Amino acid sequence: MRGIRQVALGMAFSFFVLSLGLVYWQVVKADTLLNNPANRRMILMENRVTRGGIFDRNGEVIAKTQLLNGKKVRVYSNGEMYEPALGYSTVKLGASGLEGSLADWMLGLKKANPTQSVQQLFALPRTGDDVVLTLDSRLQRLAYNALKGKMGAVVAIDPRTGEVLALVSQPSFDPTDLDQNWNEIVNREIERPLEQRYASLYPPGSTMKVVTSAAVLRSGVNTTDLYECRGSTIINGQVIREQNDKAHGWVNYNMALAESCNTYFATFGVQAGSEKFLSAVKGFGFGQPIPFELNVPTSSVTKAAKIPTTLNTNLLAASTFGQGEILVTPFHMALITAGIANQGVIMAPHLVDRVLDPSQNVIFEQKPKPWLTALSKTEAEQITSAMVTAVTDGTAAPGALSNVQVAGKTGSAEPGGDVPTHAWYIAFAPAEKPRIAIAVMVENGGTGGGTAAPIARQIIQEALIRK
Amino acid sequence: MILRLTSRVLILGMMWLGLNLLKWDGAMGPLFWQALIFTVIVLVGSLMEQIFHYQGDPFILPVVQAIMALGLVFVVRINPGVALHQFWWANLGMLMFYVVLWAIRDYRSFGRFRYIWGLLAVTLLLVTLLVGSEVGGATSSLKFLGFGFQPEEFVKLTLLLFMATYLEENEELLRIGTVQLGRFSLPDWRTLGPFIIMVAFVLGILAAQKSLGTALVFYLLFVLMLYVVTERTLYLGISLPIFFLTGTVGYLLFRHVRVRVAVWMDPWQDPTGMGYQIAQSLFAIGGGNILGTGLGNGIGASTVPVAISDFIFSVIAEELGFAGAMAVLMLFLIVVMRAFAVSLKAKDRFGQILAAGIGILLGTETLIILAGVTKLLPLTGLPLPWVSYGGSSLIVHFILLGVLLNISNATAVSSHSTKNKGREYAT
Repeated sequence: MRGIRQVALGMAFSFFVLSLGLVYWQVVKADTLLNNPANRRMILMENRVTRGGIFDRNGEVIAKTQLLNGKKVRVYSNGEMYEPALGYSTVKLGASGLEGSLADWMLGLKKANPTQSVQQLFALPRTGDDVVLTLDSRLQRLAYNALKGKMGAVVAIDPRTGEVLALVSQPSFDPTDLDQNWNEIVNREIERPLEQRYASLYPPGSTMKVVTSAAVLRSGVNTTDLYECRGSTIINGQVIREQNDKAHGWVNYNMALAESCNTYFATFGVQAGSEKFLSAVKGFGFGQPIPFELNVPTSSVTKAAKIPTTLNTNLLAASTFGQGEILVTPFHMALITAGIANQGVIMAPHLVDRVLDPSQNVIFEQKPKPWLTALSKTEAEQITSAMVTAVTDGTAAPGALSNVQVAGKTGSAEPGGDVPTHAWYIAFAPAEKPRIAIAVMVENGGTGGGTAAPIARQIIQEALIRK
Repeated sequence: MILRLTSRVLILGMMWLGLNLLKWDGAMGPLFWQALIFTVIVLVGSLMEQIFHYQGDPFILPVVQAIMALGLVFVVRINPGVALHQFWWANLGMLMFYVVLWAIRDYRSFGRFRYIWGLLAVTLLLVTLLVGSEVGGATSSLKFLGFGFQPEEFVKLTLLLFMATYLEENEELLRIGTVQLGRFSLPDWRTLGPFIIMVAFVLGILAAQKSLGTALVFYLLFVLMLYVVTERTLYLGISLPIFFLTGTVGYLLFRHVRVRVAVWMDPWQDPTGMGYQIAQSLFAIGGGNILGTGLGNGIGASTVPVAISDFIFSVIAEELGFAGAMAVLMLFLIVVMRAFAVSLKAKDRFGQILAAGIGILLGTETLIILAGVTKLLPLTGLPLPWVSYGGSSLIVHFILLGVLLNISNATAVSSHSTKNKGREYAT
């Protein structure tokens, strides 16, 4: 009889282990499983739950689910101007963008507080939560229209909080009836409407000089020290040229940034050394993933390593003015600008302002938190002052506004090959108490001052008028 | 009497509640009548127990009926179209259960056939291997009069009877042994021969059919029954290296074994291809959380492959949550433990061995398939007794249940009658 008892005990123990397995999958690992990309639970749940709406910061509807002829339909009234950030969610195509990453809120599955999780135990939510974004539809529309006919991106951020005010990529697509139009959208090979240009990597060109400035200033260079620009210089056997070989003459730091003098930054950047340059670059968030609701690729210094341990002199010289192998996303460039505007502190960017449950109680509210401290207060002021000079007396003049002091920097990045340069412009305003920081990039758009700055100018003006 | 009826009414009430929650729209008519027949059989059965003075284990049947009712609700939930068949089989199975329980006077008469059972088992398996059709990667189905039937389910019954007969007959020889081999004394070839040939034959054929789950169940059944009867750790000790050796050889020789193990180790590598089944099963189970999504609210029923048979537990765990899944586990644990209790009480050796074998069979089947769908073990397709869709499995398990309760009843009646022996003269 001993044998039977032992076998019975063994069976009971195995059942116990099995129940531990259930605890593991149903309690411990439940969220991990839910977030697995192969898990289609979220999308299939749509059939039962009315997906919550997406609103801009002023309450304007970006996306909502309506009943049309007894069927649930996702309605995007101005979808095209929010894409591809807004994304989509269909059973056929899966989910992407905000429609994907915010799905757990909008399907009412995210548990914000203990009371809610207890409620969800007893009743499956039938209506999801509404998400209010930090986006400002006025700025979004303006930026979207200003970029029309071009290929490029606009990112506007409130430097004090990290709130993203505009996030535009042109050309875009209309998310309505996406299942039917999908093939046509994918086949637009030249326009590539699905590409998120604000989150694509480009050489930053001269806008990089605001980052190099940190290394130059830290190496002991005085902002009043003068340097003679002759239109080109030779560093370590490599010829560094000015744009159009223009000699800027005797320049100090402010004038060098304002005139976008390559030889100045190459000379003093190399003098500061690769260690100081790389630490400045790292301080601005290169090589680090950006904490954000959408996936933004990491900016990198060389092809081999996002942040190499050291740079050779030739590559360092080219990197100081944003050529060489440096790659940055427009989104990151806007964050860099916001950091300078916010006295050196880059606030963590975010798109979700608050989440409201179906009876419009606030169940989640975003709180601003710092991401990186890129600069000291003094360094931030010195760079700001030079960016102001760029707008009053330099290449960024097309970005100037009559009643507000704008601080800006242009860039015309050479993508390699015989094609027009990428037009870059970064700016913030008002220079003394910034409320908006912006980065504009137009692919093969020509010069930053000519193409990008006027777009930013309109947006800054609109942003500052109403507030 | 009151208790007996209330438990049945509760179980049936749960079933009707579940069926009503599902709003079985299209297939309502015939399903309704079959559910009604099921209800009548359960109620009349419990009355019959009263009339025939059933004195066996009072827990096993209600618990199995609860499992059966749950299974029926979930089969209707997953695929109302085929649920009608499941009701037929359930009703037929219940009837066969009562036939086995009441019509067989003395279960010891099963022992008379001895090797006939073994031969029958091997024949059934051979026929399947030769003319069977392939379903879900395993050649284990046989077409017969338009019905696909699973011989390996019936092999469970015949093999169990063979084992019980053989072990009862050779118990002493197996326990003590006649051949000295170093420190161990082993039984001679004449005793061990038929058993080993049988094991090798059955497992070999099952491996050839790629029915790895059933092969594993039978292997455990052989080893554990041998241990229960002889109580020699030696047999357990020998079985482990044999298991690992065969496992390794199988792993090296057969691609489908390697694939299963690889998928088990990391289903996330390829969650849309080879790992699809187990990934979907875990997504469903994980989605259930503590209290589940509620009956009919889950998505596993449509996303998990073969949700209606092998993976039915994933759907239950999703829709009833951890609480419901644990309840199902407990129900099975009760049945298995009570089977061992029946075995311990049985008066004759054959009954003891047979009841223990039924307990071991039910326990290993349940554990292996449930461990498979929760990724504790590599996945091997097996039906969950009384829950998964499938007529062969249902009927065989009801017959096994009938045998078990027949033993239990006979034990109680015989002890009763020996107690009364003295009184017969008094009256």
